[in-house]
Amino acid sequence: MKITKIAFAIMLCISMISCASDDDASGEDLTGQTGELILKFDNGVGDQDFIFGTTYSKSNNESYKLDNLKYIISNVQLTDDPGNVFTYPTADNVFIVDEANGNNAGEIYVVLENVTAADYVSVSFGVGIDQDRFALGADGQGDFLEYAQDQGMFWSWASGYKFIRFDGTFSSDTMTDEPLNLHMGSVGTSLDNYRAVNLTLPNTVRVREASQPEIHIVADISQAFDGETSVNFMDGYDQVHTDANETPIIANNVMGMFEVHHIHNN
Amino acid sequence: MKKVTLLVLSLCVFSCSKTDEINGYQATPLEVVIPENFPQIQYNLDNNPVTQEGFELGKLLFYEGKLSSNDAISCAFCHEQAFAFTHHGHTLSHGVNGGVGFRNAQPIQNMAYQMEFMWDGAASHLDFQPIIPITSELEMGEILSNVINKLKNDAGYQYQFGRAFENGEINSENMLKALSQFMNMMVSSNSKYDKYVRGEDNVQLSNIELDGLANFETNCASCHATDLFTDHTYRNNGLSVNPMLDDKGRYNLFENPDDLYKFRVPSLRNIEVTYPYMHDGRFSTLEAVLEFYNSGGTDNGNVDPSLLRENGTYGITLSNYEKESIIAFLNTLTDHEFLQDDRFSEF
Ligand code: HEC
Ligand code: HEC
Repeated sequence: MKITKIAFAIMLCISMISCASDDDASGEDLTGQTGELILKFDNGVGDQDFIFGTTYSKSNNESYKLDNLKYIISNVQLTDDPGNVFTYPTADNVFIVDEANGNNAGEIYVVLENVTAADYVSVSFGVGIDQDRFALGADGQGDFLEYAQDQGMFWSWASGYKFIRFDGTFSSDTMTDEPLNLHMGSVGTSLDNYRAVNLTLPNTVRVREASQPEIHIVADISQAFDGETSVNFMDGYDQVHTDANETPIIANNVMGMFEVHHIHNN
Repeated sequence: MKKVTLLVLSLCVFSCSKTDEINGYQATPLEVVIPENFPQIQYNLDNNPVTQEGFELGKLLFYEGKLSSNDAISCAFCHEQAFAFTHHGHTLSHGVNGGVGFRNAQPIQNMAYQMEFMWDGAASHLDFQPIIPITSELEMGEILSNVINKLKNDAGYQYQFGRAFENGEINSENMLKALSQFMNMMVSSNSKYDKYVRGEDNVQLSNIELDGLANFETNCASCHATDLFTDHTYRNNGLSVNPMLDDKGRYNLFENPDDLYKFRVPSLRNIEVTYPYMHDGRFSTLEAVLEFYNSGGTDNGNVDPSLLRENGTYGITLSNYEKESIIAFLNTLTDHEFLQDDRFSEF
């Protein structure tokens, strides 16, 4: 009696393991298979594509144009239908999405390699650097620090990453082309502005050895100013760095910028 | 468990020694001193265990001018060992091109026991702290990728990084880890006072030093707490604001009005040799510091409430003997072994 119970349990285990990770609905065997997946970031302003040096209007009769637009993405995770989570290897799981690196269509590619083959239904990532990664210090960062600094994503007066960089000028009813610098980040454990973004995919993305699927993510950067909370440049949001009141508001707004537009199952 | 991993580790080292001869990687463990009278260590040594080779590399880097844009300003330029690694005789430090900074250089000692760095706490991980002086235009005026390129072109560093790190790579991760290893070893815990509290070598304090200790505990230890002599908080002790600098301290970080003119409560270890004092180095003697506390600070709007006296001024009333004895006590915090320790000196 006991033995049969155990045997049954073991069999159940085996069948669960084999179902969960190896096969998709069609019974295709994906064991050990990995593939490439591209996250395509596409910055826009409302229903327009984002273009450097172009003036965009926002609330409060204010407008802005940018000559620098980048942000840090980290901790990319994918979830398949049964709920298995694939996490990209921690040391490599941090990227700078820089509009200046975009192709002619203004798309910036984040290429994920050796992703476990599966049919994924959602993607999540964080904007910025989370507390766990920061607490590692230099450990596991390789040359990311130099890279971040070359990209202007590390402060020189405080030891922390800038999670976003929106640099340019703004105008209002009373001011014309004044400097605009929206930087935002965490400061040690005192100020945590890391935010996680979870996006459900409109249809599954099929990662396979022989294919190169893409998740096309649109980032509406106007949400940074007019997202969950509308902010005014004239009220001090023209210069945002480590201010304890302003930065969490921007962080929450930025969290709402992202949307999956479509999937290419190439 | 520890023993097992050690065994496995040493087996590894043994079996790998053939291939490792190529880049010479060695990992000779070094122990960071954990004095029994200190509060808990803060640095996570598991992420960056100190080795003899990493420590030696860190020391080379600490004394290396190439970390600056003119190849002349090393960390040690502003952090001199004989003065507990402070910038001797400078109220404010100056760096490349004669640029003058805004603050008095802090001692580098017991960094492993600190969770935040700089007068305002702008650095919150020891590994990242060096990026501030390296990139500050007033200090070393460099960028990390240039520093790394300079080191890559140096055969000596190719060898040293190969010895200190398994992947042997010259990159910012390994450079910063080596600097942290060097600084983590810089523990100052063998002053006369330390030996007295730990009951070592029959060391006794004199009567005036004992009076000083008692007076210190009554008047100063609320902020200069524990045997590190800091409670790690940021406070405003009533220094008048220097309009030339208008240094708002911790306020600069979060723009929180409660933080106006607050600075980190400094450790008082080796205080005898770290003059001049305060964040801007305005006092050159301990007598001047104690007279400042006694005569009272300036009400700059945000002075620590614990300093409020009955007559409405901010300060700590001290008799001449109290001042004299406190200074005698503070002088027992000088750790000559540390100040002369060959392990930390350039030559
Ligand atoms: C030009 C002078 C100068 C140089 C060069 C310099 N420092 Fe400093 N250092 C300072 C000053 C000034 C401070 C205090 C700054 C502040 O609080 O804003 C400081 C603070 C520090 C602290 C914080 C100590 C504490 O108690 O919080 C550490 C650690 C440190 N320096 C390490 C280094 C290292 C490592 C280097 C070389 C990469 C270096 N410094 C180069 C002037 C210098
Ligand atoms: C309310 C908290 C508080 C109390 C009480 C206090 N201090 Fe301080 N002390 C500070 C702070 C904060 C600083 C740094 C201020 C600055 O530079 O802006 C400081 C700085 C110092 C310095 C300069 C250290 C350096 O490295 O430059 C000395 C010396 C000192 N205190 C001694 C004392 C003595 C002795 C007493 C008792 C008579 C005392 N303090 C009481 C908060 C306090």
